[in-house]
Amino acid sequence: MSIHDEMSDHDVLRAAADSLAGLPVARPPDVESIMARGRAHRARRARRVTAAASLSAAGAAASTALAIGLTSALSPAPAPAPAPEAAPSPGTGIGPIRTAAFTLASNPDGTATLTINAGELLDTASLQRDLAQYGIPAKVTSGKFCSSDPAPDGFKQAVQLYGPWVRMTPSGPGKPPPDQSTLSVTIDPAAIPAGAALSIGDFQLGPDRQQADMALIDTSSSTCSSTPPGPAGPPGGTQIIFGGSGQAGS
Amino acid sequence: MRSQQTEFAEFFQASWEPCLRAVVAVAGTRPQAEDQVAEAFARAWGSWRKVRQHPAPQAWVVRTALNTGTSWWRRRNRELPLADHDLTAPAGLGEGPDGGLDGTLLTAIRRLPQRQREVIALRIFLDLDTATISRELGIEAGTVRMHLSRAVAALRRELTPTTKSTEADR
Repeated sequence: MSIHDEMSDHDVLRAAADSLAGLPVARPPDVESIMARGRAHRARRARRVTAAASLSAAGAAASTALAIGLTSALSPAPAPAPAPEAAPSPGTGIGPIRTAAFTLASNPDGTATLTINAGELLDTASLQRDLAQYGIPAKVTSGKFCSSDPAPDGFKQAVQLYGPWVRMTPSGPGKPPPDQSTLSVTIDPAAIPAGAALSIGDFQLGPDRQQADMALIDTSSSTCSSTPPGPAGPPGGTQIIFGGSGQAGS
Repeated sequence: MRSQQTEFAEFFQASWEPCLRAVVAVAGTRPQAEDQVAEAFARAWGSWRKVRQHPAPQAWVVRTALNTGTSWWRRRNRELPLADHDLTAPAGLGEGPDGGLDGTLLTAIRRLPQRQREVIALRIFLDLDTATISRELGIEAGTVRMHLSRAVAALRRELTPTTKSTEADR
């Protein structure tokens, strides 16, 4: 019997660590150069925000009115009025965006919270554009879902969902959404890998019942299908069924 | 009170090496891993107010570095369909005398499934406990333990025949 047959887990892990102990690590880059790159990242984010804010200042009233008007015209439900008094969110300087179908607001930590209202006709182009204003690359579709195989890593870091009614894959079925007429997700744009985007596919299951599938996609390689992902949800992503009083999908 | 620049510089100096080892173990050849880790530290500084409050900032860097590398690896694999020899010969790592590395064990680590490699790297290079690894990878603590157990079992199998043959040679 070998002595290694009796190696403890700790010994094995130690040996694994030692296997890289001899890795000749070059001196780390100059911290100033790293910080300069970090500042460049910050500046790019700020430019995006500034550009969005400028655009917003120039045509916010018109575009919001148009978006709201369109949504109202297409949806039987009255669109909530935009909140002109809403202060810009501290995270981005952009005020919350409200339409009948969704609300998008930034948080102080740089994340953004998206709330989708069940039963409202989702203007996918508006949502995709508004997410971009918040620095979130996204592909928003209705009646179809876009995915990459394999999906980029990092979905769970980029998207946080709250509530016992949320069914996360691959954790299996969750509880039904008894009275949930909305879906809320918090998205961290910094956690979305470079070259990836958040795919959101919205499927209308009934008058006030919706299925939303989300996953990260590789922007250079993705395909879209009008067949909704099965009950297991999209690989590497999440499926949420919300609205109505029925049971969540199996 | 230390400035944020000083704080970040100290974090960078202390964390560069363990983060690089972790990323090398999980994903890349060393030059590529160095780029990924440098990019991750740059992003950490870009979001330092958030990252400094993270329960495990080094894990944030490693995860960001790995995410940064995802697209790069995918592109590379598309462009170089024969590049899967990396799976059995971790380029840039097990070079033998120059690196002084245990190529066999390193190859065994690189053969582990991605999630097991991540769990192993966070455990042994960043010394994170199960709960922190669970939070960082967004998986259940029980799943972390399962991955760790399977990874250790696989590595133990890799160690055993080597020793047996060594003993047989005596």
